[in-house]
Order: sequence, then structure tokens, then C-alpha cells
Amino acid sequence: MKQNFLQIDVAKEYPEFALTANLTVAEGEFFSLVGPSGCGKTTLLRLISGLAVPDRGRIILDGQDLTGVAVAERRIGFVFQDYALFPHLTVKGNIEYGLKVCRWSTAQRERRLRELLALFELETLANRRIQELSGGERQRVALARALAPEPFLLLLDEPFAALDYGLRRRLRRELKALQTQLGFTAIFVTHQQEEALSLSHRLAVMEGGRILQVGSAPEVYSKPCHPFVAKFLGDANLIPCTVEVTGAGLLVTPEAGAAFTLPADGGEVVEPGSYLLMIRPEDVVLAEKEVVYTGELMTVEYLGHGFYAEIKTGADLILKILVEKTTALKAGQTGGVSFRKQALKLIPIN
Amino acid sequence: MRRPGWGHLLPACLLVLFYLPVLVVLGQAFLRPNAWSELVSFLGSQPFRRILAFSTTQAFWSAFFSVALALPGAYFFGRYEFPGKRLLRSVMVLPFMLPGILVVLSMVVFYGQNGVFNQWLATLLPGRKLAFTGLYGFKGIVLTHVFYNFAFCLRTLGERWERISPQLEEASAVLGASPLRTWRGVVLPLLAPTIGDVGVLVFLYSFLSFTVVLVLGGYLYQTFEVLIYIEYNTKLNFARASMLAGIQMALLAVVLSLKRWTQRLVQQHSGEAAPLPPLHPKRQPVRTGVFLVYLGASLLFFLLPLVFVLIRSLKQRGLLDGSWTFDNYRLLWGDSFRFAVGSDLLTVIGTTLGLSITVGVATAILAYLLARGRRQLPWGKLDLWLQLPMGVSFLTFAFGLIRLVGRSLHPALLIIWAQVFLAFPLVYTLLRTARREWGEELLAAAQTLGASGRELFWTVEFPLMRKALGSAIAYGIALSLGDLSAVLVLGQGKVITLSVAVYRLIGHYHFPQAVALGTLFIILAVLLFLIVERRLKHEAEFFTN
Repeated sequence: MKQNFLQIDVAKEYPEFALTANLTVAEGEFFSLVGPSGCGKTTLLRLISGLAVPDRGRIILDGQDLTGVAVAERRIGFVFQDYALFPHLTVKGNIEYGLKVCRWSTAQRERRLRELLALFELETLANRRIQELSGGERQRVALARALAPEPFLLLLDEPFAALDYGLRRRLRRELKALQTQLGFTAIFVTHQQEEALSLSHRLAVMEGGRILQVGSAPEVYSKPCHPFVAKFLGDANLIPCTVEVTGAGLLVTPEAGAAFTLPADGGEVVEPGSYLLMIRPEDVVLAEKEVVYTGELMTVEYLGHGFYAEIKTGADLILKILVEKTTALKAGQTGGVSFRKQALKLIPIN
Repeated sequence: MRRPGWGHLLPACLLVLFYLPVLVVLGQAFLRPNAWSELVSFLGSQPFRRILAFSTTQAFWSAFFSVALALPGAYFFGRYEFPGKRLLRSVMVLPFMLPGILVVLSMVVFYGQNGVFNQWLATLLPGRKLAFTGLYGFKGIVLTHVFYNFAFCLRTLGERWERISPQLEEASAVLGASPLRTWRGVVLPLLAPTIGDVGVLVFLYSFLSFTVVLVLGGYLYQTFEVLIYIEYNTKLNFARASMLAGIQMALLAVVLSLKRWTQRLVQQHSGEAAPLPPLHPKRQPVRTGVFLVYLGASLLFFLLPLVFVLIRSLKQRGLLDGSWTFDNYRLLWGDSFRFAVGSDLLTVIGTTLGLSITVGVATAILAYLLARGRRQLPWGKLDLWLQLPMGVSFLTFAFGLIRLVGRSLHPALLIIWAQVFLAFPLVYTLLRTARREWGEELLAAAQTLGASGRELFWTVEFPLMRKALGSAIAYGIALSLGDLSAVLVLGQGKVITLSVAVYRLIGHYHFPQAVALGTLFIILAVLLFLIVERRLKHEAEFFTN
């Protein structure tokens, strides 16, 4: 497996927006670009495919510099958000299009078509017109069409955006299984954190035309290095704090809360100074020992598998907390909270 | 409350008024003694073959050139955003609003033997003796039809192109297709139904062409429409005229079924219009340049003939090198005008305005009442039957009408009857679409808020429909203004409209007066056009600010 299968180092400027990106994707990897709309993820996808041309920089795919290579010659598959299926062709015609264009022989073409129709369970729909298909079926045709000419790389631009929640979850699992089975390299664009976390080997969080953090899903979720990443992927409490280095480890003093000591963690070197303390709501616990904050439960929402609540502490700080259903919560209740130390992340304030 | 039965009464009346004259023609064509044997011998005759060959070939080439010349422009309109796009798009309706006789006049002024074009050729290339002499003939007829239909093709094709998602082209490129292959495999197949559809429409218009062929065709080139007129008017051979009308209807039925087929293909995959990238002079200098040249050339092609009608109307004796003068306008008041035209200027203008406003308002009211009833009644095919005038020519109907009622009704009334019939399909479609656009929810909402009856109409329905009604009336007026054949047949020489007056002035070689009257006529048509495209005003403001 080539670690540097795809190397991207590009910049593109538009009147209202600029994108810079630098990342590598390994062969066979399922890589996600996640961020709010307008963050530049689709633009990056278009630069990789050649549908847009970067102002500066290079994209290298499997050792070949793609600068100056025409879109049609890149052999990169693309699944568009609205699928962009050819309305004048049947399911079969759509899947075959890329093969015909690339001049596959009739025998090869038919073999490949049969393979794909079987793989995507489209055999019975082969001669249907696109207008007669459901959303999920269209999605499958779009995937089959993109994969047909055996691309080096598959790009997916929010392919589930037009579908309802249940179908989206099912297709997500199918896509993941398919990728594991076939082993193609994929870059997947989404603005849905859940999708990115569940699908990808690694992901990049983007905002305002920049890549903020790249890493595996658990890594980025539990160790965000930027407040935006913490807030965008899941729910987070971000509390300003100061950190001092002592013999026992790090002495963390959260704003308007009780100081506590973090044991010196092997690898990470932390300079003393001001930080943002990031703690996920599920890692805030009701406690009587090692209390960091005391406060009053404001809103309590029952979620089925547990409770979500907001605690107002003495200062104007609202803490979000997620507890299991065995702990019954009531609004108006007062008490102390503590943090699961190993889940806590200190984000430097620049 | 609506009285029961009323909803069906109106369409029934309209159907009778529309179909009776047609049935009369058909009856005379096919139910006479010897009708069929005459028909068979005529179908095998040389004149029939000549007319059929001419009508179809000129209609084919008119459609071909209109579409072929419109396609490059449609690409820019369908793929890019640029300042003034909407304005240009509305201007493209203008040729359609111009009466046929004015188009002919403009062509004569510009492309005629002593026209501007030939004078320019002589000045630019002296001594080469180059001149365009084909205006009165096949080439001239096709040229004039292209002048008429090109803008309409450009507009329709451009709008369709906008609805082909640019993403489809990207998808094709990503799959490995070259631009040419993408055009052949994706864009063309999606555009083809529309190309076919507008092509068939232009073919239909050109096949039915009357005014253009009557003036430019002479005795050598005739469409069925012109021949019906000659048989009826000059030779008084009514049986022949009926037979010709019957044959023409059969041929039109073929063209119309073709049209229905292409229309269905167009509707099959109509996508949504996607946002388009702006055309960037700096980033796409070649493309912008090509587009500007194209745009300039087409604007000149359109506007120059019209502009030179105006210029030559202000020249001594209508000659390009004459001195500036108002003499031509003064001549409109003179005896020679009355002698050539058969009436004086004020009567002509009064007759024209009276007729056309009556026709515009009456058609709009009838069509609106029908469009209102449309949603309550399950009519099915009725809409199709009301489209009949598409398949019946002006002359067939006028001819049937005169056979039906003869001289018992005033000619003006007959003309109104015929013109309402002819304007109906377009006006009805326009109003029905407008009504469909704002839906029934608004009326329902007003009703839940307590509005009813007259209040409902004046507070909700009328304000919403006002613009569409204005356009509908203007279209009706434009059709009436442009009609020459029905007035010639039904007016019996007594009803003289502007179209007839210009036609007679051209016929009598009163060229200076023709251009002067033509200029007045153009101004009238442009005013009408401005009413139809009222949005134009707001856009003009938008672009000057």
C-alpha cells in the first residue's frame, strides 16, 4: 500500500474565497473532507478531478503529476451531489458511457457491465430510464457509473445529501462495505460529522478554505487541535483555563472553577500558559469528589438512551452534560461535576 | 356562484364558431360531385408537385438556417451569465410582433435591387458589379423567414440549454470523454428534441407563409396559402380554392403530429436551470470576442433593415442619397395615397386600431373565461381542439367563413371573427400558464380570510393576472395588426388596415409613402412590444443605475 498515493499541495483564489490545501491520501484509504458549506471541500474535489484548475501547486497521483492533464485523461471517478445521471440514457447506458468513451471492446464492456449490475443489484433495472428510479437507485447507478472505467481514485461529493435519514444510513454502510471489498481509494465530501466519523479511515476538517486538522476519526474527535474542530465534530464544552507545569504534572485552573492536576502524559509536551479546555458532554460526570464546578441543572432533555442537561455554574458558564439513563436528572437540582481526565484536551489559544 | 352549464356553454360556442367555417371548407373540398376525381388528377399534376416542392424546400431551409444560426448564440445564452442578458432575451420577441408586411418592406428596403445592401456593396467594392439580386425569389423568401424566426429559435434554444445541467458535461468529462464526444453524447441528444421542435415550428410558419411569399414570390413561387388566395380572389375558382385548402389541411396535420411528437420528446427530460458562470472578458477573451461579434452581427442583421425604413422615410423620394425631408409623410395626406390605397390615412389608422383593439380585448376575455373554467372541468382533449388554429391557415378559415355566411355580415365583423380565432391559441396558452403559475392556493387563502365573489376577483385574481392580461391583449392586437390575408379576403376591398395599405403602396410602387407609413407602423408595433415586455422598463432602469 502506497502511503503517498495522492499528494495534494494547491491553492486557488476566487474573488470571494481562497483555498489552500496540503494533504496526502494513502492507497485504499477512505478519506473524508468534512466542514460546513462554503468551506472549500467541493472546490478541493474539483481541483483533484481537474474540473477546476489550481492557481498554484501540484497534485500528484500515484507518482504522476496531474498538472496539465485533461479531466478526461485523469481516470478519476466522480459521484456528483445530484448524481448528474444522463437523463437521455438508461441505467445501462449511463454505466456503459465511460466504457464506450474509453473505447473498451464490446466483450470487455459487457463483462464489466454484468459485473457492476450484479454488484449494485441493478440487473432488473438495467433498461429503465433514469426518471423512473428512486433516489437510492439513482445513487447506486451513479456509483456504478463512476466505478465502471476502473478509476484510480473515486471522489464523492455529498452523495447522500438528497436522501432521507434512514436510506442514508443504509447506503453509508453499503458504501463502506463496498470500499472494503473492492479496495478503491476514495475521497468523500460531507458536511455531516456523523457520516464522516462513521465512514472514514481518516478525515480532514476544513473551514474557510483551510484544512484545520487531519487524522483518524477517534483521533480528531477526542483530540481536536482547534476549537472549530471540537465544536464541529460533536458537542463540546470549551472552557478558558490556565496551565502551569508542576512536579506532579500539569496544574489546570479552569475559569471560575477548582484547579486540578493532570498526570504528566508521556508524549505530549505542554507549555505553561492560557488554553481552552475541551471536554465532551459525555465526559462530564456528576461527582462529589474532585469537583471542578458546582451548579444548578437548567434544562434537562430526555434522549431515550440518557439525559442531556445544561448546568449553570456560579459564573456565567453553562456546562453541557450527557449522562446515562440510570442517573435520573431533574431541573433545579444542584450538585458538583468533575471531568474524565483522560478525555480532556487542552487547545492552545493563539 | 356559477350557473350550472355555463362552464360548458362557452367552450361549446367557441368550438362551433371555430369549426363551422373549417367544416364548410372541408365539405366543399371533398363532398362535391367529382371532388375526388379532381383531387386525384390535381395531385398528379405538375403545378401541385411544383408548389409542394417549393413550399417544403423553402420551409426546410428556413427552419435549417434559423436553427443553425441560432445555435451558437444559444450556447452563450445557455451556458453563461452576462450583463444585459435578460434585456436581450426580451428584445428577441420583437420580430415576432412585427407585422409580416413590415418585415417584407424592411427586407425590400435593405436587400432589394436598389437596397442599402447593394449600394454598400457597390461603394465597398467599386467596379466589381457585385449585387444581391435574389430577394424576389427563393433566396429572398428564405432570408426573410430566417429574419422572422431566428430570434425566436435563439431564445427557445438558449432557454433549453440553460436547463441542461453543466454537471452532466462535467460528469462526461470525468468519465473520459473529450469535449467533442461530450457534445455528441450528452449535449446534442438533450438539445435535439428542442432543435426538432423549434425546427418543425419554423417549418410550419414558413410552410404557411402568405405575406412574404405573396410579395416576394411573384408568379414563380407560391405556397398553398398564396395559391388559395389567387384561386379565390383573382380567378374566382372557389372549388379549386376549397380543394387546395383541404390538401393544405391534410399536409398540416402531418406536420402537426410531428410537432406533437417533438413536443413530447422535449417534455421528457426537462431539468431545472442551474446557476451559470459569468462570461469573463479577461479569463475567456476568445469566447467573449466570438460572442460579441456574433451578437453584433445578429443585431445588425435585425436592426439595420428596420432602421433603414426609418432613414429612407426621411429621404427625398425614399432614396438613400436623397436629401433629408418630411415630404414622404406629407404625401400620406395626398390624393395619390387615397388613390393607391383606397382610403385616407386617418380612416386607415382608425380602422386598424378599432379592429385590432377589439380583437385583442375580445380574445383575451374569451380566453380568460375559458382558462378560469379550465381548472373546474375535466376537459381532457378540449385544450387540444382549441389549438386547432395552429393547423388551419388564416386563408382557409377566412375562405370557409365567407362561404359560410357570405355577405350577410359586415366585413369588419367577419375579420374580427377570423382574427379572434387565429389569436386564440396563443392568448389562451399564455393566460392558462399564467393562472397555473400562481396556483389555486392564493384564492383559497383569500377565501379562508373571508373574501368572496367580486371582492375575491378584484383584490386577488385581477391584480395577479393584470400583467398576463396586458400581454395577452397586446399579443391579440399584434396578431390582428400583422394579418393581411384574412383582411384581404374578408374585407372585400372595403376594410383597409395598415397592413393592406402598405401592401397596396408596395404594389403600386409608391415607395416613398410605403416607407413613411411603414415607419409609423413600426412605431406602433414597437409600442405594443413594450407593453408585452413591460419588465423591460425595470431592466432598463436597473442597467442605467
